[in-house]
Formats: sequence, structure tokens, C-alpha cells
Amino acid sequence: MEEELKKIQDGFAADTAQGLDPQALRVKYLGRKGLVNDLFSRLAQMPAEDKAAWGRRLNELKNSLDQSLKEKMAAPAVFREALDLTLPGKGVIRGSSHVLSQVSRQICSIFEKLGFEVIEGPDIEDEWHNFTALNFPADHPSRDSFDTFFLDIPAVSVSAGRHLLRCHTSPNQIRVMEKNKPPMAVISPGRVYRPDEVDATHSFMFHQVEGFAVSRDINFSHLKGVLFHFAQGFFSAESRLRFRPHFFPFTEPSAEVDVSCFKCQNKRPEGKCSLCKGKGWIEILGCGMIHPNVLEFCGIDSAKFQGFAFGMGVDRIAMLKYGIDDIRLFTENDVRFLDQF
Amino acid sequence: MRFSLNFIKEFLDIDADAEGLVEILTQAGMEVEHYQKAGNDWIFDIEVTTNRYDWLSLVGIAREIAACLHKQFKLPSVKLVKKPLLGSPRIVIENLKDCPYYIGRVIRGPKIAPSPGWLKDRVANCGLSVISNAVDITNYCMLKWGNPLHVFDLDKIEGNIYIRRARSGEKFVGIDEKERNLSVENLVIADDKKVIALAGVMGAKNTEVGPGTRNIFLEAAIFSPISVRRSRRAAGLDTDSSYRFERMVHPDCLEYAAQEAGDKIVELCSGTFGGYAAAGKKPPVKQQKLTIDLDHMNRYLGQEFSGVKVKSILANLGFSLIKTAGQKMTLLVPQLRLDVKREVDVYEEFSRVYGYNNIRTSIPFLVPQEKRALSTGPLGKLYRFKNDLRALMASVGLREAVTYSLESSAQLAQLGEKDCISLSNPMRSQEDVLRPTLLLSLLKACRYNLNRGNNSPRFFEIADVYAKAGRSFQEACVLAVAACGGQEEFFRLKQAVAEMSGVLFSGKIVFSVGARPNFSNALIITIEGQVYGFLGKLDSNIGASLDLKEDFYFGEFDVGLLYAGRQEKLLRRFSVYPAVYRDISALFASGKKFKDAEVLIRSTAGAVNRLDVIDSYRGKDLPAGSLALTIRVFYQADDRTLTSAEVDEIHTRVRVRLEQSGIGLR
Repeated sequence: MEEELKKIQDGFAADTAQGLDPQALRVKYLGRKGLVNDLFSRLAQMPAEDKAAWGRRLNELKNSLDQSLKEKMAAPAVFREALDLTLPGKGVIRGSSHVLSQVSRQICSIFEKLGFEVIEGPDIEDEWHNFTALNFPADHPSRDSFDTFFLDIPAVSVSAGRHLLRCHTSPNQIRVMEKNKPPMAVISPGRVYRPDEVDATHSFMFHQVEGFAVSRDINFSHLKGVLFHFAQGFFSAESRLRFRPHFFPFTEPSAEVDVSCFKCQNKRPEGKCSLCKGKGWIEILGCGMIHPNVLEFCGIDSAKFQGFAFGMGVDRIAMLKYGIDDIRLFTENDVRFLDQF
Repeated sequence: MRFSLNFIKEFLDIDADAEGLVEILTQAGMEVEHYQKAGNDWIFDIEVTTNRYDWLSLVGIAREIAACLHKQFKLPSVKLVKKPLLGSPRIVIENLKDCPYYIGRVIRGPKIAPSPGWLKDRVANCGLSVISNAVDITNYCMLKWGNPLHVFDLDKIEGNIYIRRARSGEKFVGIDEKERNLSVENLVIADDKKVIALAGVMGAKNTEVGPGTRNIFLEAAIFSPISVRRSRRAAGLDTDSSYRFERMVHPDCLEYAAQEAGDKIVELCSGTFGGYAAAGKKPPVKQQKLTIDLDHMNRYLGQEFSGVKVKSILANLGFSLIKTAGQKMTLLVPQLRLDVKREVDVYEEFSRVYGYNNIRTSIPFLVPQEKRALSTGPLGKLYRFKNDLRALMASVGLREAVTYSLESSAQLAQLGEKDCISLSNPMRSQEDVLRPTLLLSLLKACRYNLNRGNNSPRFFEIADVYAKAGRSFQEACVLAVAACGGQEEFFRLKQAVAEMSGVLFSGKIVFSVGARPNFSNALIITIEGQVYGFLGKLDSNIGASLDLKEDFYFGEFDVGLLYAGRQEKLLRRFSVYPAVYRDISALFASGKKFKDAEVLIRSTAGAVNRLDVIDSYRGKDLPAGSLALTIRVFYQADDRTLTSAEVDEIHTRVRVRLEQSGIGLR
């Protein structure tokens, strides 16, 4: 018995020196099936005169182990177990939305807060919605810069024209205005298609967000205000915008809009900013007052109503904001790219 | 359009330095893409928008700069001499629609030689090639006035000059020395025997002016923009000349340009003026009268502008004020500006010179449609639903992919998808049709990742698919999920779909074993009898033929149907009483499915909260094709705590029913 007692004490000392978990040790030594209880059960087989003495010794041992374990448990548990916390974390599977969806969502959300309503339109369009009603004359060079993919679906009528994949989101202006009376303010995100060779900055499929508002008194000053609000919400509160006269068949006056380079803050460093190529400004948007012809094509009286419209490229804006240098990354869907957003 | 500062200074006094000019040009709408010093000159490259044909000429640019500097610009004066009239060659125009007006001037006895230095500089600094004095003069005048001119070697012209459509198969060798076959799409200048120029595009080698030329025929004309555009596209050409004709050339400047060119050839090539001929009729330039209402313009632009300021800016742009009546002004549109047709065009003219950036900024109050008709309409709701769906799928561990809507018809045919909507003008055969399913695109996305060592890609995509529908078409939105790898990837997808159902459909989703082309195993997903989509394992032969090295799992659902089938969210009460579980070790022989056991257990027990498969095993010691599962069944009542005895009784009944159905219990 003396030996057994010593074995337990030595064993306990060794185990605690190793830093084993006190909970586990409690079970091992003081549990129902533990080593100390095992000795207690053997007391019964001992001669009567020894029982009392050994009983006392066992109780002392039990109390001493118990006390020792209590102290260990009360002490701050720095490293109770031999556990290497520098091993990699695991077990979490995170899904995500695509960075283009996130950017599109963010853009739409900024405008929604001003009162714009989000309405999407179809990818398959016809010449009426994509060109004619947007005031593009047939066979004019302005249709050149908008080369399009045509589809082998029979035209519904001569005036509707051939079916095609929309080359900008502007056709949805026509769709909404044809079916609804002003006032209205609409945001329209979506995929657009142009026959372009695919390279780092071009693709035959990309994404745009269109916005327009029509009422009795929407004006050019409002257009500027809405776009400033957008730039400051999307890029930074310090963003400045520069409006440059331009030409679109569907707006008059028309403008292209540049945002101050958020990389070099328009300071045009000697070393030439890689983002704005030293210009200090980055083109992000086209916009203007909706051409009266367009309103008339949609059955809206241009003498009573006026409106503005704008459009921006989502891929391009995402690339500018996040420093993405290759548009192909969006559609390759490499998880090492997707997981960063 | 490239031009040089010194050229402008020939007819406009400018103080501004190069940087200052860049600012002015950009603010006026001529964005300066590039500028550089060239000797004592500065060269600017500006972007010219398709409506401003007048910026393709130096006089047009000069007027703009003058207006921005608050100066008036006067067109340089040119004295027109139209006599003597030429007897020959006669000029015959086949169709006045193609060519409304054609002028010829003859210069006799010129000496063709290199141009003087100043002329070379003018032409070269505007980006054109320096050729010879006569040719350089025509380019100089084109650059100045905007009207392309051409010189022919008169002695090489046989007979009369015809402006007509080419005959099919007629040959043309241009001054670029390339031979082309012409068709009726091409408008040509021809003599009695041959084609001598592609009208408005390029001259022919056979009448090119060179050192041996003794007499020059100078052409100045107006060709219809459409016929020049069609002609040059058919010939695969795009020249400085055709560029201008396509956009518009001005009839008045035509006369000035031709006169000045003739005069300069006489002067610089030591020739004499031989005569003038014209055919057709000079299109009348009707200077348009427009009345603008200042009140309306102020409301349109959003700022109060003073009548004085407006008049001043418009005057500098060349508008003449005919009449004022209160806030209304009647104006005569400037001679060169045929693109200004209505009031809004005048608003643009005023506001851009005033400066867009000087106009005040304000936020509008956007009145929502009555009852927010647009957002609460079907399209508005669908947009919000798609966003909710996207967030939901991301929350169950899938990554959103964005893949191309265009696919290869050949590859789709491998999947049995034929008669997709095809492109009339595809760029490549890999993208020649619109996809009717997301299967191929997501498979390729998985393949791309596997090839780069990215394991377990798990994707979803919400995008449109397209299909023919009789003589029309259908474009519908679908949700697709995809994963590849071991079987556990499939069951992860299945669980993701079940979670989606839990949120959108109160968990009422039913997976039934079904058949699906291209899939070796498939589940059809229904909710209350309506089919929403499927989920399955792609036939591995198909995957292999598409170079995918792992098993591919895929599902697709109609988003419109998902949206229509949504259940209104109302709390589903759950029991507050504890559940008790019992484990069953069951052996499923080949042919027996887990679903069979599940249905039996639920129907027998009634009070079953859920079933988990906590262990599964296939092994050599089991009969071939069988699967051993340990199923943990949770029993729970809504109204009380089930006693151990009650649970035992139910569980025994369950065991009996299972054994009766042929599922072995261990």
C-alpha cells in the first residue's frame, strides 16, 4: 500500500510538471474510476486494524491532490495544454458576392438614397430601343463607335429593327419612359456587349449603370449635384468633378465627367501618377440633359417635361477603385481573386 | 484632329501659351489628348466629337478659341474668280443624291516640286505626309477650311469626268498602290476609259500628280456622307478625306477652299489659272433662325443667367441677334454651324462657353412615383429579390461567379443544346451563340481554378439565359450552383439549396430522384408540386470530354419561379419541450434509398423533429452495393415532454416498419 501511495504521488508530481490539463488529472486521480478511489476500494480487503490508519493516509492524499488541483485551476490558465496556437485556422467556409455585384450594388444604393428606383432591362434589344429612339440617325458615324452584335432572331417589325445585344444600358431609359409617365427617377444596372478584342482593358461583355430622371423641372444644375453626391459617396468626400462638353446623340447639352485622381489627388507629381497618367483627372461618366427627340419618341411632351441622364462603366470604376489592372480577372473567377472582396 | 498653333495664328491673334490653350480647348469640349513642342511650333491632338465636323478645320477651331477668349472671329476673306469657264473636260454627275455639287479648276504649266519650308511645316505638324507642292497645297486648304480637295494630272484624263457608281468588278489602283475590286457600293470619279478616283476617299495612281505633270485639274466637291461611308467601308479604307465627307463638309467653305488652293498653286507652282467648271447645284446654306426663351433656358440649366452675358457669348460664337422681345431672343445660327438645329443646341453652345463647371450645383427633390409604382412593380421587386438571393447564397458558402453570356455552339452541341440564339456577326467561334444554360460556363470556371491548384471551387451565379421561342425569344433569369470534387461537395450544394429553401420557402423543398439529360444522377426540386429546378452530378464522360478532372455537380433554378413561389415570412413555432434521440444502424441494400427510410420513419412516428445521418460506411464486409448508415432520430412533441417509455414504444414501431420494408437493422 505504501508503494501504491508513493506511485500516485510521484505520478501526480510528474503529470503536473508536464503541464497536463488539471481537469483530466482530476478525473485520472480523483474520479469515480480514478487511481485514489481504486486504492479506497482495496481498503475493504485490508485487515481491520490497518484500515483506519490507511484510510486516514488515503484521505490526506486525496485532500492534498484535491487542494493542489484547485490551486492549478484557480491560477490563470496560460498554457494548460501543450497546444500550438500558431497552426493555421480552419473550418470556416466563406461565400461571397462578386466584386462587380458589390460595386454595382454600392453605386445603385447611393442613388437609391436620393430617390432613384432600380429597374433592370433585358440584354436582348432591338434597334429601336438601342439606337433609333435614342436619336441615333441610321448610317451615321456615331453608330460606328457603338458597333454591335446582331442576333439571328427575326425582327418584329421594320420600325423595331433587327435584334441585337445592347451595347449600352441606355435602351432601358426608352423602355421605362415608354411605359411610365413622369415624374420618375430610375437607376438601371446591367450587362452590355460590344465586339471588342479582349485584352487587359477591353472585353466584349462588361457592365454599366444607367441613371435618369424626368420631371417638369429637373435641370442641368441638378445633374451636377446628383453626380457630385455620387462621387463623394463612392470615392471620397474630397473628390472633385470636372465636366467637359462632349457629344451623345441622346443628350444635349452633353458632358463627360472626370473625377479627381484619388491616387495623386490631382497634384500631378513629376513621376507621373500611374492611375491618371499625370492628368490629375480620371474619366468616369458620360451624362447630359435628355434630348427632346428622345422624350418625344417615348411619348413624353418635351415642352412640359425635361430630364437628365448619365451612364458609367462598372468594370472600369471597380478597376480604378481597387487597383485591378486586368479586366479579364472579373470573368476568370479565380478564387484567389474573388476571395479578396 | 491634329493641328498646330502657328497655323491658327495665321488668322487668329492668340496670347495664351500652350498650357493655357490646352485648358481652353478642353473646357470648350475639344479634349486635348496629347500636345508637344515642335521647333517653334506647338502641336495639339484633340478629340473631335462626331457632331462637330467644323472642328475638322482650322477655321472652325479658331472660331471656338476666339469665343472662349471672348473675341469675335472673322472668316478669312477669299475673292472668288469663276471665269473663264472650262470647255472641257465636261463634268457629268450620274446621281445628284450621291454628289450634289462638283467644282473643277484647271491650272496650266505648274512646276511640281518640293514645297517651301513653311508649307511643309504646316502640313507635317498637322500629321499629314509631305508630298509635293501641289498636293501639299490641297492638304493645306483641306486642313484650313475642312473641305477635302484633290488634284489630277489633267493630261492623263481621257475625255469627260463622270461621278458615278462603280460597275461590279471594275478595278481601282489607289495612290497607296493597292488594287481593289469595286462594286456598286463604291462612288467613283471616272473618265471615258477608267476610274480615276474613289470619290471622296482616295485618288487613283493613273492620274497622280508628279514631277512630269504639265496641267492640273483641281477637284472640290460635296459627296453625300452616306455614299462615302458605304464606299470607303466596302473598300476597307479610312482616309482624312473620307473622314470629313462622312461627317459633313460645308458648301460655302468649298468655294473658298477651291479658290485658295487654285490661287496658291498658281503662286507657288508658277502656273496660270486655266478655267472653272461646275456641275450640280451648290446646296443652299440656309442659315437657320432660332428663337430661344431665356426663362426656359434658365430653368433648363438651373441658373439665372443675365441677358447681357448670354448675348455676349452667343455673339462671340457667331450667332447674330435679329430680334429681342422680353425674354425671347431670335437668333441667326452661324454660317459654319449646320449642326445647331434647335433650342437645346443653343443652350449647349452657351453653357459650354460659359463653362459647365461654373454652373451651380444643387440636389433635386426626386418625387417618387405614386405609390412607388416602379420599385413596387414586378421589375423593382425582382431586383431586390435577386439581391436577397445573392446574399443568401453567399451566406451558405458559395462564391458568386460572373461568366460570359456568349458560348461556343460546338461545345453546347456536346451537351445536346442545339438551336441556340446565334450572333450574326460573332468575333470568334468560341463566342457565337447566347447560352441557354449556365452549365458550361460554371464548368469552365471550375476547370480554370482546378488547373491552377485552387481546390473545391464552389460557385453560384445569377444571370440571364436565352432561348428561341418560335419566331421570338425568351430571356429569363436563373440561379445556378456548381462545385466539383468528392461527393461531400455535392451534399454541400444540396444543403445550400435546402438552406435557401428554409429562408424563402419555409423549408417546403422536396428533392425527388429524377432524370436529367447529361446527368448521371439528378434530383428534381419541387415545392408544393411546382418544379423549380434540378441538382445533380454531371455524367463523368461529358466532364472528361471537357477536360474537367474531377466530378462536377450542378444545379439550376428559374429565378422568376423562385420569386413567384416565395412564402410570406411568418413565424413557424417550434416545440419548447426537449427532444430525445435514438440511433438506428440501418443497412441499405443496393436499390434502397435513404429517402425511403426517411419517409417511413416520419410517417410512422409522427413526432419526429429531425433526422441526422451521423455515420455512413461502405465496405468489403457488406453485401455488394449496400450502404450502412447510422441514423439519429430526434423525437419531440409540441405539447409535452415525451417519456422514455413513449419514445421506446414509438421507436420500436419505427424499427418494425423499417425491417418490414426491407431495410436491414443492425
